[in-house]
Amino acid sequence: MSEYLTIKNLRASIEGNKILKGINLEVKPGEVHAIMGPNGSGKSTLSSVLAGRDDYEVEADEVTFLGKDLLEMEPEERSREGLFLAFQYPVEIPGVSNINFLKAAINAKRHHHGLDDISAKDFMTMVKEKQAMVELKSNLANRSVNEGFSGGEKKRNEIFQMAMLEPKLGILDETDSGLDIDALKIVSNGVNKLRSEDRSFIVITHYQRLLEYIVPDYVHVLFEGRIVKSGGKELALELEEKGYDWIKEEVEA
Amino acid sequence: MNKDSFLKQFDNLPEHFAIQAEARAALHNGLNFPTTKNERWKYTRVNTIIDATYAQNQMELSDIDSFKIHKDWKYLTFINGMFSEQWSDQVPDGVEFSSLSNISDSDKGTVLSKMGTLFNLKQDAFPSLNMAYFLDGAYIKVKRNARIETSIVILNISLGESQAINARNLIHVEQGAEVKFVHQFEGQGNAGAFTNSVCEIFVDDNAKADYYLIEDEGSETSAITNTNVSQKKDSRFTIVTVTKSGKLIRNNIHLSITEPGCESNMMGVYFTDGNQHVDNQTYADHQDHGCNSNELYKGVMADRSTGVFNGKIMVHKAAQQTNAFQSNQNILLSDKATINTKPELEIYADDVKCSHGCTIGQLDEEAMFYLQSRGLGKEAAHRLLVQAFAQDVIDTIDLVELKEDVEEFIDSKFS
Ligand SMILES: Nc1ncnc2c1ncn2[C@@H]1O[C@H](COP(=O)(O)OP(=O)(O)OP(=O)(O)O)[C@@H](O)[C@H]1O
Ligand SMILES: [Mg+2]
Repeated sequence: MSEYLTIKNLRASIEGNKILKGINLEVKPGEVHAIMGPNGSGKSTLSSVLAGRDDYEVEADEVTFLGKDLLEMEPEERSREGLFLAFQYPVEIPGVSNINFLKAAINAKRHHHGLDDISAKDFMTMVKEKQAMVELKSNLANRSVNEGFSGGEKKRNEIFQMAMLEPKLGILDETDSGLDIDALKIVSNGVNKLRSEDRSFIVITHYQRLLEYIVPDYVHVLFEGRIVKSGGKELALELEEKGYDWIKEEVEA
Repeated sequence: MNKDSFLKQFDNLPEHFAIQAEARAALHNGLNFPTTKNERWKYTRVNTIIDATYAQNQMELSDIDSFKIHKDWKYLTFINGMFSEQWSDQVPDGVEFSSLSNISDSDKGTVLSKMGTLFNLKQDAFPSLNMAYFLDGAYIKVKRNARIETSIVILNISLGESQAINARNLIHVEQGAEVKFVHQFEGQGNAGAFTNSVCEIFVDDNAKADYYLIEDEGSETSAITNTNVSQKKDSRFTIVTVTKSGKLIRNNIHLSITEPGCESNMMGVYFTDGNQHVDNQTYADHQDHGCNSNELYKGVMADRSTGVFNGKIMVHKAAQQTNAFQSNQNILLSDKATINTKPELEIYADDVKCSHGCTIGQLDEEAMFYLQSRGLGKEAAHRLLVQAFAQDVIDTIDLVELKEDVEEFIDSKFS
């Protein structure tokens, strides 16, 4: 199997509004794809649809993840199979402890793969290690999920969870927004440590700055629900310099 | 409602106290069971209770352990309303217990001076019904300044079909004493049963009493509980009601906060499904100054179940510097479930802080998706969110084993 993710002609609409209008994308093992694009172009919609949010009417010629039909799976199955979405706006869940819920999530994934529960000791070791990796304050791990976290802390917590769940494909939806410069470096370093031959990423961002830290293999421009341009990492620089107007002109021409 | 044929089923039961005869007479004469025309019974119809036929089953219990939440607690067990010495423990030092059917002459005077005084027997039909026909019950006195380390459990077990029980208890916590009670209602093979409970609790100066009402008689039974409490100076009383099962449940709690410096807590959780109906009525009666009452009820309601919450806070003119808070929050898991929730404030003092609020909502879909996107199945995500919702009420249970029991109950209910 060469592709982790294959998307062919993916369309999504909500209450009759077409938001994604035919997305094509292939992500191979170990690759990092950056997706850029103006506000409202459909980036978060794409990540939500991939993660399984059911608010949309979705159609596609094909969406396969690790050889399986992704759209057939419940959100939890997608996660257990190795898909992870770091949310643009992580939800606060008062009363649900970060740690307990992560343990339940890890065990759900382990059961799915025929493994027993993780031992308390292994779990704690892992928590310590991954927490250190994204420099998440240890008291945050013990609090309710995202409750009262600052914007930056929420984003770190997303990457912490990603590190704990060790996905095959991580989708980072504007993980850099709301991070200060130091936090941006820390989080990027965390992601870079997770990069490997058998782990891919889709990094959604508005800023080429992030892509200096997490250097992508490909950059795509999403515009009005379509990927209208793809290139190497230099494309991000070009966008930074020139904005999106020239893309719009190209599309309209 | 056929009151006469209902009462006739009980008229041959023995009487232990002269006041029982008075109560019987009152019921046979003008006193009627409430209908939905009565404001406080607007959403709860008792016809099914009154029109049913009941039994007095003579049954033996084969094992008690399955009912015990924690075996080290001291159990006072009542089977079909009758005290069971065999299945009961000695009460700890500092506590006196006697069963009402077998009360000593010296205690009888004390009991009689208190029994029924917290109720209006001319008006309230169910407390009167209990007074008229109770067969037995617990009289418990916690002696002055005694600190009782182990919890005392009044375990009421309803055995056999259509069993009717009038469970009656009188608790007196003397000055400076500290104690925790669990009042647990259980059932076995008791479809069609009805339990009508009265518990009168007197909390003297500086005393601290916790009272945990755990209702689990089964899905085919109905219960009406009447818990009336009188608090004296600087005392603290906490009641936590956990409704685990029951077809029709009505809980009436009335706190008379009669002297200054009291703290009162009324907490509750209910998890309903099927055609269940759970009605919680509370009354915090602030009669004197400088008292705090706190109230939080939470419900999670599924299927076609119905719920009622009516919380009244009464602040008399003399009750200056009263702080009274009340909140009722509900999650409806189905669009066929309903809840009628109503706060009632009646305030005659001017220097008071009172607040009340109620919410009705669904489980947060964003949170559901977030949890699922991390690999948790729908049920597990559901369970976590329900657990989280109820947690602040559960956290007010100051008994580790009971708290765990309720958490496990939620776990199994939502899986
Ligand atoms: N639930 C919804 N109901 C109606 N419209 C929606 C809904 N969700 C998304 N949209 C619309 O779909 C379009 C794409 O939104 P999306 O959040 O995917 O954009 P984005 O590219 O992530 O933008 P940003 O850069 O601001 O995060 C927007 O016009 C948005 O208003
Ligand atoms: Mg977005």
